Amino acid sequence: MIPTFSEALYELCGFARVACDAALVMALEVDDAGRATPVASSPPHHFTGFNLDRSGVFDTGWSHLPLAADSFRLPTAVVHALPDRPASLLFVPAPVDHAPKSGLLLFWTTIPPTAPLIQHVPLLASSVANTLMTRREAARQMAMRDQFNDLLDSVPSGIVLFDGDGQSAVINQRAADLLAAMPGPHRARDLAAPMRALRARCDNHAALDTAYAAHVGNVNYAVSMHWIVGERTYEVDTHPVSGDGQHGRIWLFTDVTAELQLSARLRGLADSDSLTGLSNRRYFEQRSAQIITAAQGDGRGIAILMVDVDHFKQINDTYGHPVGDEVLKAVAARCQEALREHDLIARFGGEEFVVLLATSGNDEAGMVAERLRQAIARVPIAVGDVDITVSVSIGAATRDALDGNDRNVLQMLVARADSALYDAKRDGRNCVRISPGT
Amino acid sequence: MGGGWSVVSWFEKLRGRRTGAGNRVVILSHGFGTDQDAWTSLRPWFEARFDVVSFDLAGCGPMGAESYDFERHGSMFGYADDLVELMDELGLQGCTYVGHSMSCMIGAAAASARPDLFEQIVMIGGSPRYLNDADYVGGFEQENLDQLFESMAANYQAWVAGFAPIVVGVDDREAVADFSRTLFQMRPDIALNTSRTIFESDMRQAVLRVATPVHLIQTSSDVAVPIQVGEWLAGAISNASLDIIDAAGHLPHITAPAEVIRILERRLG
Repeated sequence: MIPTFSEALYELCGFARVACDAALVMALEVDDAGRATPVASSPPHHFTGFNLDRSGVFDTGWSHLPLAADSFRLPTAVVHALPDRPASLLFVPAPVDHAPKSGLLLFWTTIPPTAPLIQHVPLLASSVANTLMTRREAARQMAMRDQFNDLLDSVPSGIVLFDGDGQSAVINQRAADLLAAMPGPHRARDLAAPMRALRARCDNHAALDTAYAAHVGNVNYAVSMHWIVGERTYEVDTHPVSGDGQHGRIWLFTDVTAELQLSARLRGLADSDSLTGLSNRRYFEQRSAQIITAAQGDGRGIAILMVDVDHFKQINDTYGHPVGDEVLKAVAARCQEALREHDLIARFGGEEFVVLLATSGNDEAGMVAERLRQAIARVPIAVGDVDITVSVSIGAATRDALDGNDRNVLQMLVARADSALYDAKRDGRNCVRISPGT
Repeated sequence: MGGGWSVVSWFEKLRGRRTGAGNRVVILSHGFGTDQDAWTSLRPWFEARFDVVSFDLAGCGPMGAESYDFERHGSMFGYADDLVELMDELGLQGCTYVGHSMSCMIGAAAASARPDLFEQIVMIGGSPRYLNDADYVGGFEQENLDQLFESMAANYQAWVAGFAPIVVGVDDREAVADFSRTLFQMRPDIALNTSRTIFESDMRQAVLRVATPVHLIQTSSDVAVPIQVGEWLAGAISNASLDIIDAAGHLPHITAPAEVIRILERRLG
């Protein structure tokens, strides 16, 4: 686009040069400070910018008469572009808003120029100004488009932008990759199919279809959904934007797979005990509160088991702390194995573990506790070359048919199970004691 | 820039320095990669005989980033305009002009456009065109230049470390250190643009128009300027003398000042 308008200026310069028998004609865009950008010249010549502020050109009242060149201070580049020393010059102002000192500059190497058409040159001023304006506008739009495209591709998301006219759309490189289309402008309707195809490929497409269906007919909807495409998850945000017409819309596809994996891992780390890999006490309290609330809701009961490794201090003293740690890990693993999936176990502290069973009645709690005890005591734990005989004592407490009035159920059950555990220790360890009552 | 030009003088903007006891004015204009301190060894000789004006070229010296305009200084004529502005501002005429390297062609462009400003010109290590062209030997092929620009753009620090000793051309550690220091002083993007402007310039037409007497000085072994270039200039300029110093390097005013002074005594004295 810009070359086209520059071409028009080259032709204007050429026309003026032939008509006036001039040696050089330049179309100049000149700002208020005299900074001149030569836009075209005849004969064509490559100029870089120069400054005419102190040249005298703008301190002269120009008519259609050329003036002697020696009263002006001309840029060296201009002098050198002439075949001989300049003898006279004429400036035809063609002011435009952004460059008020613009115009045509004509040079002759003879005095005085005799071409009869010179007096008509000022008639070219408006053409020059108009072309400079159009060229400027084209350059501005091109720069804006370039800038916009740079911006579009520097965003770490796929972008699909539907213009408000409902006809046109543009997508960036990342969106193009997702939609298997070319980046850049598209007809809006050509993007509908690839967008639908991408959604259809999602593992959760049914849920997505339902969610988006709720917004059909609402041009102002703004929604953020996770689109799960195989192993990747995209956060897909869509909201209206003001476009040429009225209802433009943008779709942003941000790959959040790594983010989700990381946050899941961090959540796991925060909830687990670093030695045994079991849940930690914090998570246990949080999760058991949820379980208790649910049990209260439908009148079921729960049980708490407190599990403590017997003579653990002795194991540490005999074999050292690293071996003690291995024993705790083995106990944790055996307990976990002996429990059902919906039971909750956590390391409560030191060598003590806590188990929450969704159960009813002392019998069932007692059975599970006994299974745990045996799982530990049946076979010695092998750490390196040594086999260590390990046992646990277990205290259990149950609560049948919880109702909403029970407060601090967990605290109460833990206290009762602890007391039962004390009984088990006193009764010679490696046994299960159940707190009386429910 | 623009409007600021009328407020700050060119003398100030280019860090002009004026010293010396003489009546006649000499302008000292340094070359690429140095600043006006390049004249330190020759300055006392000039000061004893001239009214000495020196300055930093746009893009060079500690204020180089402020004085440089990528558009204006994209051609040697932009620098020539700076020189003319500076001389007009100081009301100088009929001066002796001493230019090194790129400043030789700046002087040629200014002198042919404004002969009134110059009485005589000394060109040290000047070249109107670095690229070979038909019968003309400039010393460089386009691929040499492409490599140069590429390595400048890739790692300016590393480029300086290799470029400085080659250009100095003699085993003069202090000169290499000084030249490296002033090269580092340039903003890398400005240095790259400046070297493009220099190495891609063709000032032969401008040289052919120079009517001012010119004294050419160059060394017999200069990586930037083959001897043929000095000979071409001597043939192209109607009133020229050529002195070849039997020394190496592109910076004889720094590395062989006594030799240069000996020639100046004869040509200007």
